[in-house]
Formats: sequence, structure tokens, C-alpha cells
Amino acid sequence: MTAPVSPSLIELGTAGLVEDYLNQLGKGQPGTFDALLDRQGQLRLGWQSLLGALEALGSNGRFQQHEEIQRLLAENGVIFNMHDDTHGRAWRLDPLPWVIDQAQWQTLEMGLAQRSRLLNALYNDIYGARTLFDAGLLPTQAILASSHFLLPCHSSQPTDRPAINFHGVDVIQDAAGQWRVFGDRLQAPSGTGFALENRILMARALPEMYRNAPLKRLAGFLDNYHRTLTALAYQHRDNPNVVLLTPGPGSPRYFEHAYLANYLNIDLAEGQDMVVRDGQLWLRTLGGLQPVDVVLRHCDDAYCDPLELRGDSQLGVPGLLQAARSSGVAMSNALGVGVLELPELADYLPALCEHLLGEPLLLANADGNTRPSTAPVFDHKMQRLTPSTLNLRCFVSRTPGSVNTLGQQPNDYHVMPGGLAWVGAPGSSSLSSPVVKDVWVTANTPQPHVSQLRQARGPVVATRDGTDLPSRVAESLFWLGRYGERLDSRARLLREALMRLMEYDQDDIADQLLDELLLALDITTLNNAGENTRPLLVGFAQKRTALLAQFGKSEPQALQPLFAQLLRNARSVRDHLGDDSWRVVHQLRQRVDMLNPSVSASAARRACEGLSAQLAAFFGLCNETMPHHYGWRFMDIGRFLDRVLGLLSLLKLTLNAPHSPGLALWEVVLATTDNFTAYRRRYRSELHPEAILDLLLFDETNPRSVGYMLKRLERQMDKLPGSSSPYRNAERRLLIQANAALHLADIDRISHLADTPEAQEALEQLLDDLITPLNALSDAISHSHFSHIERPRQLVSMEPDE
Amino acid sequence: MNYSLRHTTRYHYSAPVTLCHSEARVLPRKTLHQRCGASELTISPIPQMQAERRDVFGNRVLYFAMEEVHQTLDVTVVTPINTQPVGPLPAISAAWEQIAEQLRADNRFDMQLYRLDSPFIRRNEELATFARSCFTPGRPLLESALALNQLIYETFEYDPSFTTLATPLSDVLTNRRGVCQDFAHVAIGALRSLGLPARYISGYLETQPPPGQPRLIGADASHAWLATWIPEWGWLALDPTNGTVAGEQHPVLAWGRDYADVAPLKGVMNGGGEHQLEVEVDVIPLTTDTAEPSS
Repeated sequence: MTAPVSPSLIELGTAGLVEDYLNQLGKGQPGTFDALLDRQGQLRLGWQSLLGALEALGSNGRFQQHEEIQRLLAENGVIFNMHDDTHGRAWRLDPLPWVIDQAQWQTLEMGLAQRSRLLNALYNDIYGARTLFDAGLLPTQAILASSHFLLPCHSSQPTDRPAINFHGVDVIQDAAGQWRVFGDRLQAPSGTGFALENRILMARALPEMYRNAPLKRLAGFLDNYHRTLTALAYQHRDNPNVVLLTPGPGSPRYFEHAYLANYLNIDLAEGQDMVVRDGQLWLRTLGGLQPVDVVLRHCDDAYCDPLELRGDSQLGVPGLLQAARSSGVAMSNALGVGVLELPELADYLPALCEHLLGEPLLLANADGNTRPSTAPVFDHKMQRLTPSTLNLRCFVSRTPGSVNTLGQQPNDYHVMPGGLAWVGAPGSSSLSSPVVKDVWVTANTPQPHVSQLRQARGPVVATRDGTDLPSRVAESLFWLGRYGERLDSRARLLREALMRLMEYDQDDIADQLLDELLLALDITTLNNAGENTRPLLVGFAQKRTALLAQFGKSEPQALQPLFAQLLRNARSVRDHLGDDSWRVVHQLRQRVDMLNPSVSASAARRACEGLSAQLAAFFGLCNETMPHHYGWRFMDIGRFLDRVLGLLSLLKLTLNAPHSPGLALWEVVLATTDNFTAYRRRYRSELHPEAILDLLLFDETNPRSVGYMLKRLERQMDKLPGSSSPYRNAERRLLIQANAALHLADIDRISHLADTPEAQEALEQLLDDLITPLNALSDAISHSHFSHIERPRQLVSMEPDE
Repeated sequence: MNYSLRHTTRYHYSAPVTLCHSEARVLPRKTLHQRCGASELTISPIPQMQAERRDVFGNRVLYFAMEEVHQTLDVTVVTPINTQPVGPLPAISAAWEQIAEQLRADNRFDMQLYRLDSPFIRRNEELATFARSCFTPGRPLLESALALNQLIYETFEYDPSFTTLATPLSDVLTNRRGVCQDFAHVAIGALRSLGLPARYISGYLETQPPPGQPRLIGADASHAWLATWIPEWGWLALDPTNGTVAGEQHPVLAWGRDYADVAPLKGVMNGGGEHQLEVEVDVIPLTTDTAEPSS
């Protein structure tokens, strides 16, 4: 036997990939079914052109493709993955899809559709007449012992709506090439978003291959699914309101929820966004309560209703099960379906299928003895194909036309032509897999490309005013604006402070300025955190450490914690922000992640500048791409409220500067507010505090002036909804109060700032008269527009020992 | 016996409640030995939504929702009821192990429902050991169950200050004190730990005023006991708090696996702050000629 030659050293021949793969198969277990090669070592149907294209790229070309795919994947990950502690899926997407030819697929397809019919019929009996238990056709004890069997769901599903509208099934192909089922996903069937993502990424990274392949497209399936959801509605059947119920950004599956809601163009809602009243489900929006007709549920059964199900759940809506029971809202899937996921059911399915459907079960379950088949997967260098074990999650949905029919028909369900495939031991979890694959089901004829935008079927209902915006979303947008602005102003102050730090000991004025800036940044010595007085930091080293601590994670007002707040709010409104804005958030996140207290002062300064520039890019993109309705207005109000408060407190600090560095500090004020150039152009002169004050307070043409910002707040607030609310008066009064203070200011008195203490007093009075009402304004806006829902509580806690 | 049952549950909240969804199990169910007249139900304030259904145990469940601001909640039910005595107990019954063994393989839903763990009651060896002092090898089921009922009655102390809803069953067993609900839970846990089915019954018990004194209104109490399955005879209701077989004097409200399934009033509300609870129960015996339930 010769020593193995590293494949990177030899140029593989035209059939090199396949030959190499065949050799590896030979060393494995001969006779095991392989997805790529038949028993004679010949390529199976559908792989030829795909492999040819990948072969022609060469390993370098493939590696470039791979890197492109990974880049897109990472970007999507950050765009959609909202989970704090993970950095997206750890997997890579193999450039070689899993090709399944039509004949093989049809076997699987028929089996899957039958399984959905079977489980739907099973649900109806388990939660209905319960004849199957006493007939000995069910594992009674296993079902009763399961925490997924929910007694309150007994006869809760109206008979005119199917219990199962969407079904995820995990399958593998066994060593003989037979499809075998590993498990069912019904409560919150995840993976559709990933399957869709993989397909879209493949199409982007390998456009030629994708365009020419006669493969079945996915869009039609999801289009149908949307129609199914719509057809479930009891009311507003022309244009029902469908929401995707998510546990929220804390869920590891939030990625998919956001992705899917976006793709299906439906609202993403958390339990706390909704309420049951009058036996119906409603979404809390800025314009009041809006009816919800259909819930696409991505929240586990037991957590959906703290009244009848788990009382300790904060994720559901109290009364939801009763609303579903009384046809006040349609659920997809019905509550209680989790019991059908029980592995103990597997052995009973063949008899159940005969009993309930009068048909033999088409797809057998896998068991401990099931040996998997093999399929080709590229190694991480994209040089060789290695035989691997693939899991496949398939998706089945109820056909739109069958939603309102009673009884079961063979074509009640249809299967997505594709799915999510991942490498791993049979039955392993997809999220922990290192490699995923797109699944190509070949068609006999080229398939038309279906646009993501569905063809309209009903009347167009414009919601241009945006009063249907959930209150929580408005609130998050408001705080997104505030935190963005706060982060920006801190980054600017830090930049100035770091510049002075770099000039330390060269100039007394610069040194004093640094002290003022440390005060403005509210930085104290680390040892005296508990005291009220903030002793000045002494010496270069101490100041340097304190400043750079702002680039760490421990200080609450440091850049990273502020960014984390921004990100938290941004995530919960993901579906209201454009993809481009999200790319900037991603870049910001990468930049912020790299910050640490051990960087050099000059690197830290550059980081601050980059941060400001990217924040400006983010808000700029929001301004350019978000419709200027209520959501955008709240974000804008948040930004300008924070900005004006930041400027006012900086001015106040400058006025009271204990170290009196005079004009130098005013220069810093101009620099941190980015008004230095404006000042120079306007006055072409030395610094005069009076002139600076005019520019920063009264000049309404200067977007950084208090006058401009108050005008902007006024304009935005005038257009907010709900002018009849009693709180609106408070909100308006506060703004009028601030405006009056500004307009009635005695400019003559203030203008002798440098000379008289009276002028200083007058200015300080003015600043206070502005700060007080503006501080109160934030609360007034909250009260008037954001529903401050107390978390619903249990009358009697029914939580026994767990 | 004919009774008029009156059951009032009243909550006072320290802060306004803006929305409240509730589920009440206060409408008595029909049983083999009990017929109920039409209940007179008064909820105050008047709920915006109200619906009645049967739960999986066959109990009557009342859902209602208050959607306007309120600071008290009062649910009062008055039901005329007729109870019949329990038939004679079977003369013989099989050894308890034999029945436990048969039931182990029984697939019937209603049998297994009451044999397994439930929210407040988990089977364990401690409970099984306690049960075995009555369930000695080969002893007939009926005799053993009656002995268990008697054992709890004789060795447990009725002490309302000792337990709350959250007290674990093991504490009740160790300290041998509690209230009717705890005693029922202990007996159920003991039976289930041996593989026998047992269900929790909530209801009422007529209390006798001291000799020479009139009945006090609202002085009666809710009561709880249990039932276990005697094959070929039916569910035998045992009241370990009083050491008796529950019968004519035990009007039934609802049953389930344990207290969690039959809590008289559950709710989820917004607002409310602290709350105070008042419960008033009257079990008023009627002579046959004053009232006869309509059905």
C-alpha cells in the first residue's frame, strides 16, 4: 500500500472527485446505499451537471465559492440571529446540494403526506372521543405521563379547523435506501427558515448552477402555506391578520421567526403584545387594539396560555386557549399537538394507520438498528468529497383548499420539495451540526422561478398611517433612537478625551481639559465608586486606565453595555428595519466586539470615530429606507430627545467648569457636537462663547442646535396618533414649556457671558428651564403611547413543587 | 338528602384590576348518587364574557372574563341538590396486589389517568411504605383501603395552621398534620404508589351546629376527600379527615387527579396588587317537602 498522497498535491482528473469518493466508499461498507453512486459505481440521476460544474471550478474555485457562501451565511446570521450568547449557527453550508431524484422523492412525499393525515386524525381522537386508548391502540401510560399531553386541550379544537397545518418530519435514508422517520415536529416546527436561507444563498453564490438545474422551487410551497394560514381565519376572511407568535429575542430560534415573518410578510408578535378580550385575540398597537385572526405559533404548547396551561409562563397570552376553543382565533397548529411528537407512538403507528385511515403505513420509523446510508459532503478545504450521514427535515403543510373541509382526503397535505439537511448521527440536532446542505429535488422539466412577492389575490389594504404598529415596537424604536444617540455622544466625548490624553503633559490647558472631559464622562477613580463626590484622577496612568475602562464591559456607561442596549432594542424590531440598516448594525457589532481596555489610546480614538460614523450610517439608512410613519417618528423623537439632553448637560458642565480652562473647553463643545467647522465658516474668527451659544442654542438652521432639535421634536410629536389621550396634553405642555424658555431667553443678558456673573446665572437658569421639561418629556411620551402592561399575574399560584 | 348549597368566593384587591380571565369550578356535577337542580349563579361585577364547558374529568367549568376596571370579585353559586346513599360495599374483594397487577396492563384512559403522577402528587417509596402498613401481603383491596382511611384519621392531626397550598406532600406525611386536602393527597399518593388508582374529590360536608344553637350562615366549609377503584363495584369514596366512607352527607362538586385539577377559582389578571380572599359555604339541609331538585 502506498502512502496517502495529499490531494492538494495532485491535480485531480476530470472524474477525480467521483473516483476519489468511490474509493472511499469501497473502504466503507459495501452494499450500503449511497446518494451519489449506485451499486455499480455509476452516478445517480441528477448529479451529473452539478458535479461537472463543481469539478470545473477546481478546489481553489470551490474554496472561493465556499468563502462567499460563508460570508453570506455569517451576514444573514447577524442580520437575523438575535440571540445574545451565540454568534449564529456554527455550521457551514456545503456547496454541493443533496440531489434527490423525482422517483425517490415521490415515495417520501406520499409517506409524509400520509403521516400528517394520520397525526391529524390521531389528534382528533386523543383530544376528542378518546376511543383509541380503550381500544388498546395507544400507549396510554406513556401519553398520560408525558408533559406534552395537555388535559385542558381536551375538545378545545373547533371541528371545522384542522389541528395540524404544518408538520416537520425528520427522516434519514437507511442503508437499503429506504426513507425512515426519526421524529415529528409539531409545536413549533422550525427549520423552514434555514431551508429557505440555504436555497437563497446557493442561488446567490452559485447562480449558474442554480439557474440551469431542473429543480423544484420552494417559493410555491410557502406561498401556499400563507394561503393556508389565511384560509384558517374565522373573520375578516378577505384580509385576515396573521401573526407569528414568538417567545421573543431570547429564543434561540428567533432567527427563524424573524426570517419567516419577514418572508411571509406577517407581524412578529410576542405574547405580551397581545391580549384576549371579548373572546378574541387582539394585538396592542399604537392605534389601539387590532384583531388577530390567525396565530402561526412558534411557542411550545404549554407556554401559550398561563390561565389554563403553565401558570408560570410569561410567553403566552392569558385566555388564548379559550379564545381558540370559542373560534375567536385560529391556531396553527392547535394547542396540544406536542403529544404527537412522543417517540413511544412509533410502534403504534402501523396499526393506527390501518385503523384511522384504512391504509398501510408508508413510512416506517427508524429504530436502534437502523443503519444510515451515505451521501457526499465536501471536506472543509473543498478538495474531496467524503461519505457522510445526512439527516433531513421535511415540511408538510395543509393545502389551502382543504382547510375548511371535514374528514380527511388523500391530498389534504402537500410537501415542500426540499428541506433542511444536516450532517450528523441519525437523529442528532440540526443546530449543533457542523455542515448543512441544500436539498434539490429534481424535476423532469425546468421550473419557473416564483417571485417572493406573492401575486395579490384579495383587495389591497393600505396601512400607510402605521397605527397598526405594535406598541412594544414603537417603544423599542424610541429606545433604539435614545441609545444610539447616547452611544454617539459618549463616543465623541471619549474621542476628545483620548486626544487630550495623547497630548498629556505637553500643555497645561490640555491637561485641564482632560479633567473636564473626565467629569463630563462621569468617570471617577475606580477605588471611590461608592462615594458621592467624584475625586479627580491623579496622574497620567490613572486617567489613562479610567478612560480605557470605557472600552471594557464592566462600566455601565461604557460603550459595550450601551451598545448592548441598542442591540437589544434593535433586535426586537428586526422586522421593521431594512436589511441594509442591519448590515451596519452587524458591522457596528463587530467593531464593538473588538473593543477592550488594553488597546492603545490612538486605536481607541480611531474606534470612537468609526463608531460615530457607523451610527450615522445606521440612522441615515433608517431615514432613507424606513417609511416615515409612526415607528420612524418614535425613533427620531428618541434620538433628538437624547441629543438635546446631552448637549444641554454638556453646556451646563462647561458653564460650571471648576478648572476654568476658558475658551478651550468651548472648543471641545464645538468638536463633540461636530459644530467646529460650522462655527469657523460662520464666524471666521476667534472663539467667542456668545457666538458659540448662539450657534448651539438659538440657530434653528443648525441641526445640532437646541432650537432646531426642539422644532424637530415638535414636528414629530404633532404627527403622533391618539391626540385625544389625556396624556397628550402633558406631552405637549412640556415641549411648549421648553420652547418658551428658549424663545423668551434674554439673549442680551446671556451674551456677556465672559464678563458678568449675572450672565452666567441667566444662562444656567435657561439651561435648567430647558432640561427640566425635556427630562419629563420622555416619561410623558411613554405614558401616552407605550402600553405599560403589568405582567399578568395568577390569582392563586398553582405551582406545586417542581 | 336534599340540600341547598351556597358557595361564595370573594376577592378584594388593593389596586384596580383592569382585565381578569378566570376559570371557576363551582357548579356541582351530576354523579351516580347525586342529582343537581339548576344553579343560580351570580358574578359581580358582571363579566363581559362567560362560557361553560366540561373538562376532561367531566366537571363543569365556568370561564368568565372581566374587562372593565374592578376592585372586588364575587362569585356566588346556589344549587339545590339531592344525594343518595351509597349502595352496600361488596362482601368480598380480591387481594390488592392482584388488582394492582391487573391495572398495570390496563389501557383504559380513565383508569390510568388516576394511577400516575399529577401536579401535586408524585408517587414515591416513602408513600408506598406508609401504605404498606395497611396494604399487607394478600389483604383484600377493600379492607386495606378502609384501613388506610382509618389510619390517616387516627394518626394525623387536623391543623389548618400547619400547611398551605405549597406545602410538599412529604412534609404532611412526616409531620402527620394538615387539612382535609392534605389528607386526601396523602391517601391518593399512598394508593398510587402501590399502583392503585385514586382520584381527588372536592365537595362539601354538612356541619352540625352545637346542640341548642342555630346554624350560622357561612359557617360550613369546602371539603375534600378521595375515591379509589374497586373492580366490578366502582369508585369507593373515602373521607380520611373523618375516617368514614363518603356518602349521602358529602355533596360532590368536582373531581380530578388532585387539587390542581379542581381549584374552585383560578385567574390571571392585570393589576390588582395584594388581595384578600373570603370564602363562605353553606350546606343547608332541606326537608323533602320544601324543595325537590328539578332534575
